[in-house]
Amino acid sequence: MLLEVRDLHVEFHTRDGVARAVNGVSYGVDAGETLAVLGESGSGKSVTAQAIMGILDIPPGRITGGEVVFQGRDLLKLREDERRRIRGAEMAMIFQDALSSLNPVLTVGDQLGEMFTVHRGMSRKEARARAIELMDRVRIPAARERVRQYPHQFSGGMRQRIMIAMALALEPALIIADEPTTALDVTVQAQVMELLAELQREYHMGLILITHDLGVVADVADRIAVMYAGRIVESAPVHDIYKAPAHPYTRGLLDSIPRLDQKGQELYAIRGLPPNLMNIPPGCAFHPRCPLARDVCRSDEPPLYEVSPTRGSACHFWRECLDE
Amino acid sequence: MPDGRHEPEQAIAGTGMGGTMDLGVDEAETLEKRPGPDGTGPGDRPRSLWSDAWRDLRRDPVFIVSALVILFLVLISLWPSAITSGSPLTCDLSKAQQGSQSGHPFGFDGQGCDVYTRTVYGARTSVAVGVLATLGVSVLGSVLGALAGYFGGVWDSVLSRITDVFFAIPVVLGGLVLLSVITSNTIWPVIGFIVLLGWPQLSRIARGSVITAKQNDYVQAARALGASHSRLVLRHIAPNAVAPVIVVATIALGTYISLEATLSYLGVGLKPPSVSWGIDISAASPYIRNAPHALLWPSGALALTVLAFIMLGDAVRDALDPKLR
Repeated sequence: MLLEVRDLHVEFHTRDGVARAVNGVSYGVDAGETLAVLGESGSGKSVTAQAIMGILDIPPGRITGGEVVFQGRDLLKLREDERRRIRGAEMAMIFQDALSSLNPVLTVGDQLGEMFTVHRGMSRKEARARAIELMDRVRIPAARERVRQYPHQFSGGMRQRIMIAMALALEPALIIADEPTTALDVTVQAQVMELLAELQREYHMGLILITHDLGVVADVADRIAVMYAGRIVESAPVHDIYKAPAHPYTRGLLDSIPRLDQKGQELYAIRGLPPNLMNIPPGCAFHPRCPLARDVCRSDEPPLYEVSPTRGSACHFWRECLDE
Repeated sequence: MPDGRHEPEQAIAGTGMGGTMDLGVDEAETLEKRPGPDGTGPGDRPRSLWSDAWRDLRRDPVFIVSALVILFLVLISLWPSAITSGSPLTCDLSKAQQGSQSGHPFGFDGQGCDVYTRTVYGARTSVAVGVLATLGVSVLGSVLGALAGYFGGVWDSVLSRITDVFFAIPVVLGGLVLLSVITSNTIWPVIGFIVLLGWPQLSRIARGSVITAKQNDYVQAARALGASHSRLVLRHIAPNAVAPVIVVATIALGTYISLEATLSYLGVGLKPPSVSWGIDISAASPYIRNAPHALLWPSGALALTVLAFIMLGDAVRDALDPKLR
């Protein structure tokens, strides 16, 4: 395993109380593999990623337990300066909004080149040349001229390509993409996803794709981990999930995708709201919204049951769910 | 105090006195040059802030007038002999309190010194004190404020309490107490005193704007790509947080000039034979009935200078604050 997260717990201490954002998340990703982490806002998927990268704001955040093993080392045990050297060079992150993720007062060439001057100690001239190379790599037309332009002079899709180029600059072993296409037009989304998938294959990187868009996931992911209230509720190879979900929450997500053959009918929605992280329901956190919920769900928290050697579901009644 | 004396010294060596006079303008100019040849960004606020500001300033009559006054002041403080042939220290008691006459347009003061020459040479003191004190205050205030804003936590609490303490010191009383024990008759003790009491104002501004800039996504993104603390602060936060500091520093410059005059008037700033508008105002005030010109010219010069800097600061603030547009 390139990266393995084991039983990670993250809390946020706020004035109103303690928000338990991540409650025992475990997942792993191999080199060349794409893991999609699915979930609603507040499910803890981004917080997990920030904890992996080491960019969680501490305080108010606090990692209260677990391990993040990357290339054989537990990152949570490293010093800040050691972690900093890993960021960018060995693992990199792509953010949702590429406009606000690029510094408005620096040219894109400066920002791309910075990766090489900071981590590789290259001269500015070499770094500039590498920046142009990278922009070509992510298929930005007229890279030689545009390297001197500022972020606002690029379109949304082009800006996200620049973010991808920055993340790829030092050929990291792992890339975490936090909703990389959410801020883009649908047509541009597909192009950017395709580019990301292609570059990932080429560099044989591990990719963690954080998203709430099941449509994006189907084409590119190898495995899916579904998160709810800071826990993994289902983890499976992508095809298994689309064929037959083993958790009622996953089923709900799949059913709420608009489909052409359902035109004119009411769109399914999971009833209720995601739980308040300061006050997560006892037992299975999903039980207030679950169509299969029974007494045992209100009292006993389900472990991640083994559905098959490659698949797990945190539902007491996963068999029932599979059969439906 | 020793620190306060040191900072401006280094600053002046690095930048040169005349060039830093016009803080706001300089900054706007250098930053405007940064966009590429096709750097036009319709509807984009963040990066074009500086070029927008410069475009606004060039059309602002308040800015043009105050900048011309300041330019004139800088020139005469660098080369006073260009517009006066006399020496401010050559006085002729037999001419004491005489009014305007040929070759001496402003008349003579109580000691028989030429008021015109003394007013011209007085600009040098005011400009030097204003610029050096502002540089010292800006450097010390922004560094401490930026550190507090960036690291937060204990740093921030400690610094905030220290600034509270300094804010509580009455400026004139503090000057009377601290400066009366110093015998050196140079501008350095005065500058040191102004820096000592002035930095908390700048550090508060710098702290606030660093906290705002720190929350930008690109700071988080740069961190995720392995940028160090110093790189984050210098490359990503400072350029996006510097505008309010420039505005406040420009306005403060005018008030520092009047503070120097106040302290010299009270006899704890510069003392004769130094030349300063404050000293002249103080010396002329007993003779206000017999020789009002000896009081009016240095007072007028002081008022005009302070007004010019405050107007410049206002113009720069209007240009840099998008919310006011």
